[in-house]
Order: sequence, then structure tokens, then C-alpha cells
Amino acid sequence: MPVNGGQGTLARAIEEQEERLLNCVHCGFCLPACPTYRRLGDEADSPRGRLYLMQAVVEGRLDAGSDAFQTHIGRCLGCRACEPVCPSGVEYGHLLELARHLGGSARRPALLARLLLRVFGTGWLARPAMLAGRVLRATGLPALATRLLSGRHRSGERRDRQGRGEEPGRIARAATGAGLGLAMLAASSPARELFHKRLAARPARREHRAVGHGKDATGASAAGRGNGATGASAPGPAAAGLSTVAPPDPPTVALLTGCVQAGLFARVNEATARVLTANGYRVVPAAAQGCCGALHAHGGDLEAARDMARRNIGAFEGANPDFLAMNASGCGAAMAAYGSLLADDRLMGDRARQLAERVRDVSQLLADRGPVKGAPLPLRVTYDAPCHLLHAQGVADPPARVLESVPGLEVVPLDGAAECCGGAGIYGLTHPGLGGWIGSDKVRSVLATGADALVTGNPGCMMQIGAGLALAGSRIPVVHLVELVDESYRRAGLYGPQASRGNMPAGIRAATQPGRSA
Amino acid sequence: MIPATLTKSLVEICGRGGVIVDEERLLVYESDALTAYRHRPGAVVLPRTTAEVQGAVTAIARHGLPIVPRGAGTGLSGGAVALDRAVVIGTARMNRILEIDAANHRAVLQPGVINAELSAAARPHGLYYAPDPSSQTACTIGGNVAENSGGPHCLKYGVTSRYVTGLTVVLPDGSVAKLGGQGRDAPGYDLVGLFVGSEGCFGIATEIEVGLLPLPEGVRTLLGIFDRIEDAGRAVSDIVSAGLLPAAMEIIDGPTIRAVEDSVFAAGYPTDAEAALVIEFDGVEAGLDEEAARAAGFCRRAGAREVRSARDEHERMALWKGRKKAFGAMGRIAPDLLVQDATVPRTTLPSILKGISEIGKRYDLVVANVFHAGDGNLHPNILFDRRDEDELERVERASKEIMQLCVDAGGTITGEHGVGLDKKHHMPLIYGSAELGAMWGVRRVFDPAGVMNPGKVLPEETAPEWTANGEEQGAAEPVAAAVAAP
Amino acid sequence: MSAATASAGIVELLPPDRVLTGEAASEWAGGRDVGTVLFPADTNEVQALVRLANETGTPLLPAGNGSWLGAGGWTRDGGAVVSTSRLDSVVHYEPADLTLTAGAGLGWRKLGAVVEPNGQWLPVDTPGVGAGTLGGVAACGVPGPLSGRYGAIRDNVLGLEVVTGDGRLLRIGGRVVKNVAGYDLVRLFTGSRGSLGVITRVSVRLFPRPGADVTVVFGGGVGEALEVARVVRVTSLPVAAAEMVVRGTGDETGRDAELAVRVLGGRAEVDDVRARLVAEVGTGPEGTMRGGEGEAFHRERTAWEGRSPIVVRMTALPDRLAATMGWAGGGAGRTRGEIAADVLGGVVRVKGLSVDDGIAGIAATLTRARSELEAMGGTLTLSRAPREVAEVAGWTGGGGGGGALARKLKSLFDPRSVLLSKCP
Repeated sequence: MPVNGGQGTLARAIEEQEERLLNCVHCGFCLPACPTYRRLGDEADSPRGRLYLMQAVVEGRLDAGSDAFQTHIGRCLGCRACEPVCPSGVEYGHLLELARHLGGSARRPALLARLLLRVFGTGWLARPAMLAGRVLRATGLPALATRLLSGRHRSGERRDRQGRGEEPGRIARAATGAGLGLAMLAASSPARELFHKRLAARPARREHRAVGHGKDATGASAAGRGNGATGASAPGPAAAGLSTVAPPDPPTVALLTGCVQAGLFARVNEATARVLTANGYRVVPAAAQGCCGALHAHGGDLEAARDMARRNIGAFEGANPDFLAMNASGCGAAMAAYGSLLADDRLMGDRARQLAERVRDVSQLLADRGPVKGAPLPLRVTYDAPCHLLHAQGVADPPARVLESVPGLEVVPLDGAAECCGGAGIYGLTHPGLGGWIGSDKVRSVLATGADALVTGNPGCMMQIGAGLALAGSRIPVVHLVELVDESYRRAGLYGPQASRGNMPAGIRAATQPGRSA
Repeated sequence: MIPATLTKSLVEICGRGGVIVDEERLLVYESDALTAYRHRPGAVVLPRTTAEVQGAVTAIARHGLPIVPRGAGTGLSGGAVALDRAVVIGTARMNRILEIDAANHRAVLQPGVINAELSAAARPHGLYYAPDPSSQTACTIGGNVAENSGGPHCLKYGVTSRYVTGLTVVLPDGSVAKLGGQGRDAPGYDLVGLFVGSEGCFGIATEIEVGLLPLPEGVRTLLGIFDRIEDAGRAVSDIVSAGLLPAAMEIIDGPTIRAVEDSVFAAGYPTDAEAALVIEFDGVEAGLDEEAARAAGFCRRAGAREVRSARDEHERMALWKGRKKAFGAMGRIAPDLLVQDATVPRTTLPSILKGISEIGKRYDLVVANVFHAGDGNLHPNILFDRRDEDELERVERASKEIMQLCVDAGGTITGEHGVGLDKKHHMPLIYGSAELGAMWGVRRVFDPAGVMNPGKVLPEETAPEWTANGEEQGAAEPVAAAVAAP
Repeated sequence: MSAATASAGIVELLPPDRVLTGEAASEWAGGRDVGTVLFPADTNEVQALVRLANETGTPLLPAGNGSWLGAGGWTRDGGAVVSTSRLDSVVHYEPADLTLTAGAGLGWRKLGAVVEPNGQWLPVDTPGVGAGTLGGVAACGVPGPLSGRYGAIRDNVLGLEVVTGDGRLLRIGGRVVKNVAGYDLVRLFTGSRGSLGVITRVSVRLFPRPGADVTVVFGGGVGEALEVARVVRVTSLPVAAAEMVVRGTGDETGRDAELAVRVLGGRAEVDDVRARLVAEVGTGPEGTMRGGEGEAFHRERTAWEGRSPIVVRMTALPDRLAATMGWAGGGAGRTRGEIAADVLGGVVRVKGLSVDDGIAGIAATLTRARSELEAMGGTLTLSRAPREVAEVAGWTGGGGGGGALARKLKSLFDPRSVLLSKCP
């Protein structure tokens, strides 16, 4: 094994995976599913090729610190689109994490990647960083910068380089990365224009008129209301000022508030709690929760990821909900995999598995309840499936069913909806060239739909696609699935006449606060 | 390692991202989907256009290096493996559909277009591309042309060569030739037909014109469950003898059923059965039910314990998915497998299947069969673990016996996977020195310098001697003439 | 001028009862002056003849029943026709395998008599097929209207035994329906018109004869027929073949056309397709033929070229049919014959061209028509023509980039140019 010193144990870790690697029969079915292979055409940038490199490390024919291993393992988006098409059931995502772990031990990852992971993983660093982000966002400077950059971005030079599959030079890369970062920050802003101006300007379709808009509807006239459960111990719908149909013994859910989600998308967390409550779930707080560890696991820092998992297991066991609600599919996939992440942990292994079984995406929880119908939203939208929802968790139908349930909504298909947007955690920042190429293809298909808004279910995707659209000079907003449902409910008066944006019931606020213990 | 001057010219032609020379990065090109052979290429070039292919071929030829064309590397005969550090020219970036001419049921495409994506692109026009190899979601049309690929539905619709109507090819000397095109029936020799199936030895097809078919209006899919594989084989023979022409008839045997059911593509086959026979009819709705009912009757009379029919498109896709992904699912039961591809006359199927099973038992090997029964095209998969040397040797011997068994029954050594590296030494089982000599001669017409995919298809020891001026020595010499059936 | 008898050595190789010369030879060749006709009885004799021809420099013209000799076949002085018509035995026929192997000389009608009792057929409707042999059909390789449904003959020849021009005996392909072992020499020899070798044995794939065979005939003027042809071309209904015949001579005005659409399949399927097709076309058909009536009709159709002195074959993409016929552009002048058009394949055949203009005039007309067709990506080939016309107009056009390859292939298998043929 040509792996040096302390890496011996790490090498053994991947060696133990040899049986899993051998499951790969080299059939090549994964090639067309891989966004990087499709663009670069190099088999080393395909799942099969990467598995082959891992196998070569196991066989002692390749050094984990080699350029080949580092480059191609590093270039993987981790979208796991290869898994559903693999007839041999190779657990690619798991093997990739181990490979990154091994690669990271053989050679220190880039400063930027280390820095970002450090920030996300450390509460006292993350919160001020997110605050700074919000402050910066509030100044409007990122949005302005994005508009200025959008002209340059569309120039031919960049596309030409992309067409040849080449990354820009170091300085150009840093500039691109900084520009993208600002655009992503700008893209995390709420879609005020969509919900206020555009919707207001557009009357609902005739058949939905009866339901009426939230603002006009009185508490008594809106559908499905007036039967609120009265939970004394937790902020039930009635206490929250919500009125909905709830079963006598409503299932409880605890929301993973997340780091980016809590920092830049607090509105999505709040909306999640409201729509779940409206659908008869009792949202309970899980204090002391922290980062899910997804970015660390994907980046190969498995020890950090395990620590975070252990902490979250404790936090959520404390709340003991029936389900763990996820509105960031990257986090959802990570928490659903806690079982295998901690498989070798004798103390926590079983608990991790049991907790992971209770993980649900918010779309699944809603779809299980119908979901409850709200007021019409006369919009044309298109849906982009987050990789970690569709490929990693196999959740395909529930988001579609939730969209179908919103009256008046026209859902147009998105070409390439199953393909990664190029966001992939911090990929857009570490690989601006390739990530930008993948992202611009996504932007092109979004623009081709003529939709009023793009709907998805993951903060990373929202920022990546939103930034891409803005840099392309488009004003199409990106919204989270629950934001749409929330708006529909609000207009239907499901939250009562007094509920409006920013006027959030205390119970909801408690359930959507990030953990405080770190 | 190729000379730096060559690297420089290749980069000028194909761009930096289109040239791979780093030894470690080249590792992943060691094998195609037949992992028994590993040979690292000297470099990989990924051109985008006919002109770039032409430039690359010319540059490589100037340095006297051999060239291996490669599509998606899903081939099962080692055909895309680079011997002698050859330079691989990959078509992965040549993936544009250039034209869909719905009015004339034809399309023009680059070789890197994926088979299933061509059908997907043709679907809005009410058309599809008929040849459907099991790897159709991944394999490229260029690779299909090189291998003359088949697939389950070629029972009714025929193989790749029936659908390729024109080719633009870059010949090994760097010149470009246009063969056929603009529909079928071009005058002169059928050079398109000759090029199809030439396994990358004649040149690189850079633009391909194919014929498309209207999508059938209706489909009926049946699944017969059998306790004995011979009974399934008999049902196939009976159905054909009765004059029925299903679009496809596929047999999946017990071990394969169990592998598929254990994979992510579980199709709902009963795991205690010894054979599942998938039968599909397509065409206009009228009459389909009657044909399906007749076929179901033949299955029952041959001893099927149960005959199911797919109730909807979802069930139908599941039945096919299980069949099409069977090869990959084998990875579940053994780390390595050797898949064979012999074709036998359909009537010999029951006895051949029995013979294969006996050979497997004699060598203590698991042989899983999944095959195009309607065509008599067998795919015995011998499962093994290459780390077990004794087993490896038994695999070799069993493999050869199976092939001999099929040839003795009037069959051939490969029905659709190609000869490649894997079966070239078996070519003398079916062809004598005259036929092999003729094939060498034709190869030399296309590739006088012997630079395209050397070491494939034809065993070197059968190559005729050529004189210095290119004349074949002794070509006119009489060959022993024993007349037998072709 | 009479062709001289072939060299003594060649003639003496066979017993006298299997050699025809002079008048008798011409009579066998339908009045064509071919000098000598040889009838070898087995592959060994064919091989011996070809080898001797190589040694003596005797040109040979491979043939079956001689029905295609007008398609570019004539002997040079001292040469001979080699007819494989005595190699007519069925070597292997397993109905359940749907495959048959027979000598190249097996007559088409005899082939039918062998396979039809088992409800099978070889669906080939290439021009002149009825009078020919299995080997001749394979050697000519011309697709007929049914080739869209069943593939052309080259798609259904599984194996060949061939004596190459330099006397090598090759057995290529096999008798299984799928076979990719080695290069596809079967496709090279099929359709090579005897220019590379003498085909002595053929293995083919057969098909179950469909339960119903219905031909719907639409009539009317040329314009109407072209419109029906368009509907048939774009329909998603499974039409097996569609052929249009324009009778009489002269320009377009006032000419009658007839479009015959063939539907094959199970009875229920065929009735359904016929009814829906008639509805799509929108005008009632002149008639519908079933069973024996339809078979007789198609037999007559394949014999349409007859022994016409000049038959031109034009191809282009099917949606250019009108242009191919010469009615959509400046192509006036080449329509003064009777026309048969394969609507789905885009193949237009013209016979009965007037020779009043003299050879030079005809050749000029053909050359002009060819350049028009080639400009739109099509081809013009002479199917049958007097030697004098062919020598001026050329059997085929430029030949494209495959020309050099074709020449090398010819010299690979027939280095001394012993075999006479117009191909390529």
C-alpha cells in the first residue's frame, strides 16, 4: 500500500469496502447519469472511473495523494444520480465519502474548502457568519454586484472555455468564485416580487375564486378550518393562531433547522412549521441540535461528521418526535444515512439507525396528508429535483403531489430536472468553471420553460440556480416548495386573519430556532 | 507515454481538456465492460467533430502509433481495450443529434449519442430507433455501429446494420469517406453494411445516418414462469413454429432471477422458478390480444406453472428493466463474470441449455443464463472470483466447452457482442484459413498500415504474408475445396 | 457481330450437355448474344472453371437463370456466362428455425414450393424476382417495396458460399439469425452483382407468412396519387409496402396513376389497418384484393420491368418523390416512360423511354436527370440498358468517397478482373 504513515488505517477503511467496490461490474450504465462525464467526456470523471480509481488505491496501484485521485474524486458533485441506475446496487455515495476521507488524509484539502467546513461545523463561527451574510444581503450590494456581473457573465469567452472543459486560472477562479458567492447570497433573498407584485397583478382563475385570497377571506369563510386541536403541552395549531383539521392525537415532528437554512432561509423554516401544522402535525422543538454534518461527510471529514451526528441524535431523541422533518434535502440525505455513518459505533449505532428511519422530507410529510388545499396561486412554475432528495433518498413523487395540490398552479416540466444544478454543497465555489457550466445548462432549461418561478427543495440548489439565473440577467425567482404552499395557505386564511408575514406565533418561532448549545 | 510533439499537436486539435496523457488518469481506460482484460492506453483523445477526428488520426498515424476507437466502454468483448499502448480516440464528446428528419423516418447523429437518447429525441415525432441492446441507456450509436449490436427486439426488427443507411468515416490514413446516405438503396457495394460490425478496425464513423420506425400503437407483454428451463425453450420453439412473430422473446434463468430480484431493479419474478420467459407483441391494437392469448397457450402447454401479463406500462417496464439490467445485477452474486454470446439454431435450444448446465456442474461453476431466446442468442454468464486462481482456470475450460457445444450444433461464437480481444482465438472454430485470409484482406483495404484497433477480431497467426509491394503472397493458390453447408 | 465461343480449355472442362454455344446460347439468354453458357453442377466445378479462367485470362459472367443479363451483363470475346442454375438443391431446411440453405441456382418458384407448405416465405419483391434464382436475387441485392417491413435481401441473407474471382472458396456467415463473428463479408458479396465472386450457396432467414395479405388500390390522376402517397408515407399505421404505377406515356397532364398499398398481418390487424388507412386517405379505394388475387397482382408487379431495353432506377429521400419523378422541378423530359415508384423507399423506376432521340439523345437526358437528382442527394442508376447507352451515360453516377475502397475490394477478390460486371 503506497499510502504513507498514519494513512494506513484509513487505507484499511477503504480496503474493507473492497466487497462493495467489487459489486461494480464495470457495465458503464452510470456514465450518462453523471453530469461531469456528460460534459467532460473523460471516464475518469464518471462514477465507474472514480470507482476504478478507488479500486486502484485498494490494489496498491495508485496513491491517494496522486493528482489523478485528488482531481477526479474532487470533481465529483456527489449528486448520486449514478446510484438509481446502478444494476449492481453499488453504494457510490458511501464509497465517495470514504474516498474523500482517504484523499483528504493523503493531501490537505484546499484552504477555501477547509475554511467553509470549519465555519459550518462550529456554531459560534457559523452564527456570526450567517449574520454577516444577512447584513450584507440587506445592504442590497450583492444584488447590485450580481446585476453588474451579469453582463460579463454572458460573454462568449467563458462559454468557450467551458466548451473545452477547462477550469479558469487561479485569479480568474477566485474572481468567479467571489462573484458567484455574492450572487448566491443575493439569491437567498425572499421572492417578494413574485408573491406581492406578480400574484397581486394576476387574478385567480375563475374556478378558484370561491376560495378567495387570504387577505380578503375571513376566518369563518375559508375552507378546512375552525377545528383546531388544543394541545396544552406544546404549541398546537390553536395556540399558534392556526386553524386546521387535526387528528385527536396528532403525529409530532421536529424540524432540523440547519445552518444555512437557519441563517439565510429562516423564512423557509417558519413556513415549514406553519404548513406542517396546517396539515395536522404537531411541531415540537428539538433544542441543542446542530449542523447535520452533510458537508463534512461529503468533503471526507468523516470524524467531524460523526461527532455532529452523535450530538444530533441526542438532541432529537430528547424531543422524541414521530418524524424528523427536513426542508434541506442535503441535510435530509445525511441524517437518513446516520445509520451507516455510525455503523461501527457500538454505543450509538442502533440509535443512529432508529433515528434515521424517522427522517422525512417535508414533501413526504405533506403528501401523506393529501395535503390540505389552500388558495389558488395563478402561477406557472417548474420544479427542479434536488439530487439529495431524488437520487439519494429516492423521493420523486411527493413533491409533484404537493405541487398538484396547490390550486391554480400550472406546473411545466423542466428539461433535465433530474440532473444536478452544479451547486452540490460548496462545489460552485471550489469548481466555479465546471459548476458554472452545469449551472448554466440548468439556467438555460429553466428559461426555456417560461415559468414565473423555479421551485425546489434545498437551500444550496436555491442559491446556485438563483445566482445562475440572476447572472444570466433573468429575474425568475427561486422558491422553496413549502414557501409556495405557505403562501397558498396564507391567502386562504388558514393561519387566521391576523397572521401575516413577520407576525409569527411564538410556538412556531420556538420550533424553528437553531440549536444553542455549541 | 506518447511523444511530447504528438501531445502538443493533439492539444492543438482537441484542446487541453480533450487530451489525456497522465499515466494515472489513463488507468480508468484499461478495460471496457469485460474486465478480464486490462491494458493501459498510451493516451486518450476526445475530439468533437469529424475534422478533429481527422486531425487526431493523421497526427497519431504520423507517429506510427496504433489507434483504438472507444464509445461508452460498455462492450463485452474487450474491443475497446488498447493493446500496445495504443492511443484511444473516444467519442464521448461527439454526442450531438445533427438532424431528425421525421418526414423520411431518419436521423443523422454523431457517434457518441446514446442509443436510448436517440429514441427519446425521436419520440415527439412518433418515431423510435429499433435496435435496443440491453445497455441502451448507456451505449453509444457509434459503438452499436462498430459491434453491429442487437437487442431483445431484433427478433422482429433486425439488428443495427438494417438501420444504418449512411456513414461518414475517417479512414486510418486520415482521409474522410462518405458511404451511402440519404436513405437506403445506394448503388455499388454495400460498404455501409461492411463497415457496420467491423469493430473499429476499418476506421471511425463520425456521422451516422439511421432509419427510424413509427412507434407501435400497442404492446402486450407476457411472463411465463417455468419450473424447468428446457420447457421455456420448448415454448419459444412452439410459438415460432406456429407462425407467431413476437417483437421479443427472452429467457431469464433461476440464478439470474434471484440476482435481479435481489437488486434495485426487482421485477417481481418468483425466486423459486427456474425460468422466466418474457414475450412481447407489438403493433396495432387490433389482434394483439389474440396473439398474446395464443402465445400464453403455448407456454401453458409447454409446462408453464403460471402466465402473467403486464397490466400497465409500469409493470411492463418493470419486466423489461429486470431483464435489461440482469447483467449488472450479477455483480450481486459474484465479483466477476464472463458472459458468452453464442447463437444456436432455435430448435437446438433445449438440448444446448441442458448441455450448458451439465458443463457448469462438471466444473463446479455457477452459470446464469439470460438470453434472446427467440433468436437462439445465448448469454451464459459464468460467475467467478478472479482472486481464486483454480476457479479462473475452470472458467476458461468451461467457457471453451460451451462454445464448442454451440458451434457443433450449427451455431456461431458471437451473436451480438463481437469478437474483440476475447473471442479472436475462437474464430478458427467457425472459419477456415480461406475465410480468415479474406477478412484480413478486407481489413487491409481499409487499413493498409494496420493501425486501427490492432490485435482484435482476427488471430494474428492466420494473417497472410504480404509482399513488399502490398501483394498478398499466394492469394491465388488453390485452397482445399471440401464443399459443405455455409 | 457474334460473340466468339469461349476458349477451348474452359468449354472442355464440362461435359458437352452442360455447355451451350452460338444460337442455343443466345436462345437461353433471351436473344442476347452471349457466345457461351456453362452449367457447372457443383461448387467444385465452379471453382475449377474460375481457376482455369484465371490461368487462361477468360472473362466470366456469373448468372443464375440469366434473367438479369440485360442489367449490364455481356461477355467479352472469348468469354462465357457461368450459370449456377444446376446448383439448385435444398441443402438444409428446418422450418422451426425459419432458416433455409440451398444451392444458388434454386429457382424462386421452387423455393416457394418448398417453404409455403409450412406457412413460410422469403418476402422479397425485387424486380424480376419470379424468373430468377436464389443466388441471382442475392447477387443483385436490389431492394423491393417490401424491404421497409422485412428488410432487403441483404438483411436476410445469413450466409454465403462463394468462389471468389481469384478462385478461393469462402464460406462466410452461417445459418443462425444473429452472427457478428468477423467482418460482414456476407453484406459485401450480397448485391455485388457477381463482380467479386460466384455465389454457389445461400442461407436465408425465412418469415412466417402472415395470416392476411390485403392490397388496397387507389386510383386517379398523378396529383391525387401523390397525395395518397404522402398520407401513406407519414401514417403511423403499419403499411408493409406501397407502390405507385403511372401508366401511359407523355407528360403529367392527363395521366392515370394507381397506388397499391399492401397490408400484412393477422386478420383482425389487417382489417383494422385497412379501414383506418382508407379513412386517413379520405377517398375510397378503387378496390381491395385479398388472397390469390393479390398474390397474382404482386407477381405481375415484380415482372413489371419485363425485358424493357432501358430501365432507369432513381432514388432520393421519400418526401422528394414528386421531384424524383421529375414533376417538381425542371425535370421535364425524363417522364416520357411508364413509372413504378416505391413510395416508402423513395425509389422510382422508369421504363419505356423513347429511343427516338437516338443513343446520344437518351444519354444526354439521363445525364441531365442524374445531375438534378444528385444535386438533391439522390442517385440515378441504369437497371437495364443497351451497352451503347450505358457506355455513354454510365451505369451509375460518381460513386462518392467509397469509390477507391470499392476498386481495392474488387482487386482483392478478383485481381485479374476475370469476372465481368457493372458493379460498382
